Amino acid sequence: MARVVILGAGISGHTAALHLKRRLKRGHEVIVVSPNANWNWIPSNIWVGVGRMTTDQVTFPLRPVYRRKGIDFRQALAVAIRPEGDGDHESGSVDIVYTDPTRLGEEERLTYDFLINATGPKLNFAATPGLGPDGNSLSVCTAKHAEQTSAAFDSIVDALKRGERKTLVIGVGHGTCTCEGAAFEYTFNIEHELCERGVRELADVVYLTNEYDLGDFGVGGMSFAQNGFVTSSKMWTESLFRERKVRAILRAHVERVEPGVIHYEQLDGTKGTLAFDFAMLLPPFRGADLKAYDRQGEDISDQLFAPNGFLRVDADYAAKPFEEWTAEDWPSTYQSVGYSNLFGIGIAFAPPHPISRPRSTPDGTVISPAPPRTGMPSGVMGRVVAHSIADRIERGETAPLHKASMASMGAACIASAGAGMRTGTAAAMTMYPIVPNFTRFPESGRSLKETTGEIGLGAHWTKLLLHYLFLYKAKARPGWFLIPE
Amino acid sequence: MDDAASSIAAAPLPTRKTLRARSSLPYQVMRFVAFNIRMLRMVRKGHH
Ligand SMILES: Cc1cc2nc3c(=O)[nH]c(=O)nc-3n(C[C@H](O)[C@H](O)[C@H](O)COP(=O)(O)OP(=O)(O)OC[C@H]3O[C@@H](n4cnc5c(N)ncnc54)[C@H](O)[C@@H]3O)c2cc1C
Repeated sequence: MARVVILGAGISGHTAALHLKRRLKRGHEVIVVSPNANWNWIPSNIWVGVGRMTTDQVTFPLRPVYRRKGIDFRQALAVAIRPEGDGDHESGSVDIVYTDPTRLGEEERLTYDFLINATGPKLNFAATPGLGPDGNSLSVCTAKHAEQTSAAFDSIVDALKRGERKTLVIGVGHGTCTCEGAAFEYTFNIEHELCERGVRELADVVYLTNEYDLGDFGVGGMSFAQNGFVTSSKMWTESLFRERKVRAILRAHVERVEPGVIHYEQLDGTKGTLAFDFAMLLPPFRGADLKAYDRQGEDISDQLFAPNGFLRVDADYAAKPFEEWTAEDWPSTYQSVGYSNLFGIGIAFAPPHPISRPRSTPDGTVISPAPPRTGMPSGVMGRVVAHSIADRIERGETAPLHKASMASMGAACIASAGAGMRTGTAAAMTMYPIVPNFTRFPESGRSLKETTGEIGLGAHWTKLLLHYLFLYKAKARPGWFLIPE
Repeated sequence: MDDAASSIAAAPLPTRKTLRARSSLPYQVMRFVAFNIRMLRMVRKGHH
């Protein structure tokens, strides 16, 4: 009987756990290790951050779901992977430290036959002095952060109601951030909310980003066929900024955040400051703090993980210039290079390189988005790897691995631009493939038929529908597996 | 005016008709259905 250990119960790890348990016969063990007792539908944190939803609406306790499904849940943090085992065990193992209040601080070594690293991002606020809720800016990355941010926003609205002028800055807090889509969403939700609460006039809303152009979103922008023309996501996004009177600061790396002042550098090397009353700046991501050791206890973290802490998988990591990047550089099985029973999925795998063109200042400060790994591909990777492992358990080592490369996978992204069943709006985008493939689509790297964008109330309904569908699916309610990732 | 501001200022503004369409209930119900179909197609592509 086999044991599969999954590190992380986010979008990718939780999806993998549910699919594995569904596929595997009784007797095989699925263990999930994750530090938080609750699951969070992170995309809806945006609405918590403007007071449209509560934490309870975007989270639920994992234990009852796992108990019902026969999945063993350990509320703990993984700290080390021993892919070759140790002196006592032949098979690989992981060291975990419990965060479960009833076993707080207890350490354990779990052996495994297969291991999935789905630990997502470490929110690296420390990369920028003063960034984050423990510093001088706000975040919506967790439901708790979003709740604090919502309270801060309410105070700003109160001040605006008293007739004071306020500057609200939303964006990314480092030159190498990803997730610009989330910052974009939060910007327009804030703008929408200011209008709804009747205080837009006195508010200056500024979007601060590391993107070269608006509409880049870390995927190098998109081209759409619209009304007989090929238009760009740049023009489309700029149009929204103009319509909603939102200012933008582009190509920026935030150097530090002082109380009420952001210090930033731009691609041409110029430095600037921006005074603010409210700043929600996303942090850059890096891999979870995991170490790796060989059988003798030697540190092999450098072999297993890329310098940014993400797990190296079946990608082509050879350094090459932007012009030589190809779709084939991207991984498809998510299997670790050295260890065939170890996989990295979701944000936890190391991408071979960015998608947007890399750029830096004359002094060498990198200012370009890291590649996003959004919910849809993260879920697909979870499912695909679950099937690969189930096949190998049932049919043996030679069972072929399932594949899902971001260079042959499409994605739908719905960026909320304001909540409300009648007044809401969102920008709905589909792109195929996520990573451009200029061999297949020489014009723009993506299919012009399948890469689309539109703005409207219907897109908001879709966003809301996804909220309910994914919570239903994550709760593993009847028929959950019929809802695609 | 910096680069970003001049680029935004030059962007096309939606007409009143476009803005009405974006919030018109019957039209948006159609767009909702159309977008969900498109999204399902995308999902199917992601499954190979
Ligand atoms: C504000 C915001 C809005 C977003 N909006 C959208 C959107 O609209 N659409 C979209 O597609 N995507 C969106 N995303 C991106 C989406 O949330 C991610 O793509 C997705 O969560 C990635 O899944 P994951 O499983 O890799 O990581 P996560 O969902 O972050 O899960 C990682 C899990 O690992 C756990 N973990 C961390 N360290 C350890 C450890 N050492 N040991 C064990 N467990 C550990 C964490 O607690 C967590 O449970 C948004 C992201 C943000 C921040």
